[in-house]
Amino acid sequence: MEKIMSKDIRAVIDQCPEVGRLLEEYGIGCAPCSVGSCLVSDVVGIHGLDPQTEATLMYKMEKALYPDRDVPEPKVDLSKIVPKEINYSPAVKNLVDEHVLIKRMLALIPTIADFVENSETVDKDLILSCVDFIRGYADKFHHMKEEDIFFKYVDEQSEIIKIMYEDHDTGRNHVRNVVEGAENGNKAQIKEHLHGYRDLLTQHIKKEDEILYPWIERQMTDNQIGELFQRCSAADDSVGEELPRRYEKFIIDLEEKFAKEN
Amino acid sequence: MSDCCPGSKTMDFNEDDAQGEDETGARQSQLKQWPIQLHLVSPQAPYFQEKDVLLAADCVPFALADFHKDHLKGKSLAIGCPKLDSDQEIYVDKIASLIDDSKINTLTVMIMQVPCCMGLSQIAKSGADKATRKIPLKQIVVGVEGGQVLSEEWL
Ligand SMILES: [Fe+2]
Ligand SMILES: [Fe+2]
Repeated sequence: MEKIMSKDIRAVIDQCPEVGRLLEEYGIGCAPCSVGSCLVSDVVGIHGLDPQTEATLMYKMEKALYPDRDVPEPKVDLSKIVPKEINYSPAVKNLVDEHVLIKRMLALIPTIADFVENSETVDKDLILSCVDFIRGYADKFHHMKEEDIFFKYVDEQSEIIKIMYEDHDTGRNHVRNVVEGAENGNKAQIKEHLHGYRDLLTQHIKKEDEILYPWIERQMTDNQIGELFQRCSAADDSVGEELPRRYEKFIIDLEEKFAKEN
Repeated sequence: MSDCCPGSKTMDFNEDDAQGEDETGARQSQLKQWPIQLHLVSPQAPYFQEKDVLLAADCVPFALADFHKDHLKGKSLAIGCPKLDSDQEIYVDKIASLIDDSKINTLTVMIMQVPCCMGLSQIAKSGADKATRKIPLKQIVVGVEGGQVLSEEWL
C-alpha cells in the first residue's frame, strides 16, 4: 500500500477504476480531474477526513487494488459520521463569500449564452460587461488576493496550488476567447468559452471552498491568521468599498434583466 | 492597584526566560507578562502590542494539563470570570482598547463548557464590536470532565 501512496492518482485510477469510484463515494472527486498528478497520499491527506473514515477508505482502496490480500476491515459505522460544517477564519470567509457572487454570474451564463445564440446580432456591450465583471471582480479583486496573499502561506510548488494557478490561467484564456468572439460577432466562440469558463470555475470554487482553503488554514498559526486578515483588509481598502458594491449591483441588474426576459 | 503593589505591578518578562522545552523534566512556563487578571492589566501594556492575545476564563488552565504548551505559548494573556467578576463593562472597554490601541493581531477566548462561561465570549464579542479595528476572534471551549478541547472556531 505504501507504494500506491506515492503514485499519481490518475495512474492508480487508470489501473483500477474502482479506486476512482471509491474516492467519489467519499466526496473526493479525483475521477473527473484532468490533471491528476497529485499523489495518492496527498489526495487522501488533503481532505482532512476523520481518522476512522480515512482508515475505511484506505481499506477499501487496498481491497480494490489487491482483492486477494487478507486485509483486516476497520470497524466504522459510516451512518454515524456527520459531515462537519467548515469553520473559516474571517479573511477566508470573505473569500468564500466572494465565490457566492461569482457563482451567481456562473448561474447566469447558460441563459446569456442562449440569449447570444438567439439574437440577431451579438450584444457586444452585454458580453463585455460580463467580461468586465469576470476580470474586475473574479480575477483582479478575488484571484489576486488568493495569488498574492493567501496561497503564499503554503508551498507554492505543491501540486494543488499549481493546479489552482493553472485554473486561473485557463479561465483568463476562456475570457480572451469570449472577447475575441464578441469583437468578431462569433456566436459559437462566445458560447463555447462562456460555458468553458462556467464549468472550470464551478469546479475550481468547489475545490477551494471544500478542500484547498481548509487545508491551507489547518497549516496556519493564529499569528498568520491575524496577519492574513490584515493583509486582505488592506487589499480591500486599497480598491475601496465601491468596487465590490458596484459589481454586486451589476449581478442584481443582470439577474433582473434575464428574469424579465424569461 | 497602585504601582507599588507587587500583585498588580506591570512586568514584561524577557522572552528568552520562557524559551526552550523539556518534555522529560520540569517544563518552562510560557507566561511572559504580569499582571494577567483583566481588571489589573493595562490594555496598553507593552506586552500586548500587536500580539495574539488569549482571554481565558479563570478555570481553564486548571482543566487543561498542557495549557502552557498548547495554548499560552506565543500569546499574551488576560484572565477573568464572567460569573463572579464585578464591573464587567470595564472588561468590554479593555477588549476594545486592546484591539484599537494596542492593535492586537488576534483574540482567542477560552472558556469552560459550563453555560455561565459563555459570558466571557459575549464580553469578547462586545469588545470587538465596540472597537473600530477588526481582528479575527476565536472561541475555544474546554470540557469540565477530562480536560479536553471540545470545540475551536472562528467567530
Ligand atoms: Fe482561485
Ligand atoms: Fe477563489
